[in-house]
Amino acid sequence: MILEFERPIKELEERISGLHRLAGGSEGLQVEISRLEEALDAAKRRVYSNLSPYQRVQVARHPDRPNFRAYRDALTEDFYELSGDRLFGEDAAVRGGFARLKPELGGHPIVLIGHDKGADVKARVAGNFGMAHPEGYRKVGRFYELAVRFGLPIVLLVDTPGAFAGRQAEERGQAWAISADLMALSRAPVPVVSFVIGEGGSGGALAMCLADYVGMLENSYLSVIAPESCASIIFRDPGRAAEAAEALKLTARDLKDHGIVDEVLPEPLGGAHNEPEDAIDTVGDALGRVVSGLSEADPETLVAARHDRYRRIGERAMQDGTA
Amino acid sequence: MDAVFTKCERCGQPIYEKDLGARFNVCPHCEFHYPLSAPARLRLLLDRGSFEERDSGLLAGDPLGFDGYEERLKKARRRTGLDDAVVSGVGDLGGRRVAIAVMDFRFIGGSMGSVVGEKVARTIEHAYAEELPLLIVSASGGARMFEGVYSLMQLAKTSVALSRYVEGSWPYISVLTDPTFGGVTASFATAADVVIAEPGARIGFAGARVIEQTTRERLPEGFQTAEFQRDHGMVDRIVHRLALRGDIERLLGFVA
Repeated sequence: MILEFERPIKELEERISGLHRLAGGSEGLQVEISRLEEALDAAKRRVYSNLSPYQRVQVARHPDRPNFRAYRDALTEDFYELSGDRLFGEDAAVRGGFARLKPELGGHPIVLIGHDKGADVKARVAGNFGMAHPEGYRKVGRFYELAVRFGLPIVLLVDTPGAFAGRQAEERGQAWAISADLMALSRAPVPVVSFVIGEGGSGGALAMCLADYVGMLENSYLSVIAPESCASIIFRDPGRAAEAAEALKLTARDLKDHGIVDEVLPEPLGGAHNEPEDAIDTVGDALGRVVSGLSEADPETLVAARHDRYRRIGERAMQDGTA
Repeated sequence: MDAVFTKCERCGQPIYEKDLGARFNVCPHCEFHYPLSAPARLRLLLDRGSFEERDSGLLAGDPLGFDGYEERLKKARRRTGLDDAVVSGVGDLGGRRVAIAVMDFRFIGGSMGSVVGEKVARTIEHAYAEELPLLIVSASGGARMFEGVYSLMQLAKTSVALSRYVEGSWPYISVLTDPTFGGVTASFATAADVVIAEPGARIGFAGARVIEQTTRERLPEGFQTAEFQRDHGMVDRIVHRLALRGDIERLLGFVA
């Protein structure tokens, strides 16, 4: 899939590969090829250093963006998957289990949990496009308990459009399931580390990012509502999503500036979907560093610091009329 | 003599507004529960003259510079006389001291922004510090979009405060009224020891209209009503508004 604003880049890439084919082994077209490669680099820089918030949302949703499975396979070994909420069923929208970070990332055993958008159409449908049902949140809650029981850090990879607006999700109490996860993370006496790798939609995302550290890839987003929904409610026009995305301040950079997240993780030029390995390595470096840093922390100190972090968050969003 | 009357939206019968006020906005003919303001709710629940407001004077800023938010806030403050969508403090219920926060749907749809989250968190902390039962009455359309991710973070803020409170042995009672949705149900409103709802109140995460638009499903009669939530195991009891104070008093007799 090619995003509208990526079209000039793709055209240049096609022309370059066409010339490479024509040139074969000869050097005759090298000058022209070099010229186009320079133009390509400039175009990438121009487009990708000026993405609007809504364009970033589109990059965050790109089907070729590296997903949970890619990070899991590249950054951990011996993933021991667990399933089910023990109450109703299994939910493929989120996956989790025990894993060990790769030796070069410190080799720590962890509980790894992530939204699984799936790599092909079949998997996407099975995982409801990364939108969990209540059994998904409750499964995640079980994994939080297991992590606490065995003293393992919780590592979360967030990539969800949000909670699911569906009849069954309501019948099975998704609000209750989300609030239980938030309560569990609030008091878990183990390190909680969260990365927003793509979409961070509303309560569905928050159930997996109330954490000691929240890192966001440069083109990921975290928002209380999808820009399209915000536009239809506030502007009564879903077509004004770009405006809503701007107003919501949902980009990684905005959230860092507002003190909501800890770190913006730079993506390769052209976005994570163009150079998946680069993006995964960047997340891996941060993951290894943060887990190592937190693994020695005293459990009670961790919980107290997490409490203070969220208790104070957004102090600047208020004025005290009594002061 | 105040003889203004109105027609019940539910049963169509004429009602004197005076009668409606005396019954805390419950129709005398069909018992339909209309929304109730936070000040009236405090009169309904607490012993006369016992309410001490806390943490008033906190005002929402406009952290994102969201177009139109300042005006909405001013209008809501003027129209309701409130600072924001929650009134909180301590008071006596049947002679027993409680920490209490009551939401008011008239204030931008009872939406939860930084002030609502802060006042709810402080109420929880008063209850914790003073070893009081905690009572929160919700009425909310959900998160306050004008505050963007700040409103989302209120779910986290209230959850961390509550997680400390529930380590103690004082009860947290949540009362859900029409309507309670979104970020409020996904955080403090459902994480209680006992969840009570008013008859007919609409309670859920996503609203029925959004679900119909998203999934094109036809939703069953009574979807997301208090009765539906009780039948699905999500709500402990449905209590008529005029019986609410007595019901909570009974409950506190067991757990406080």
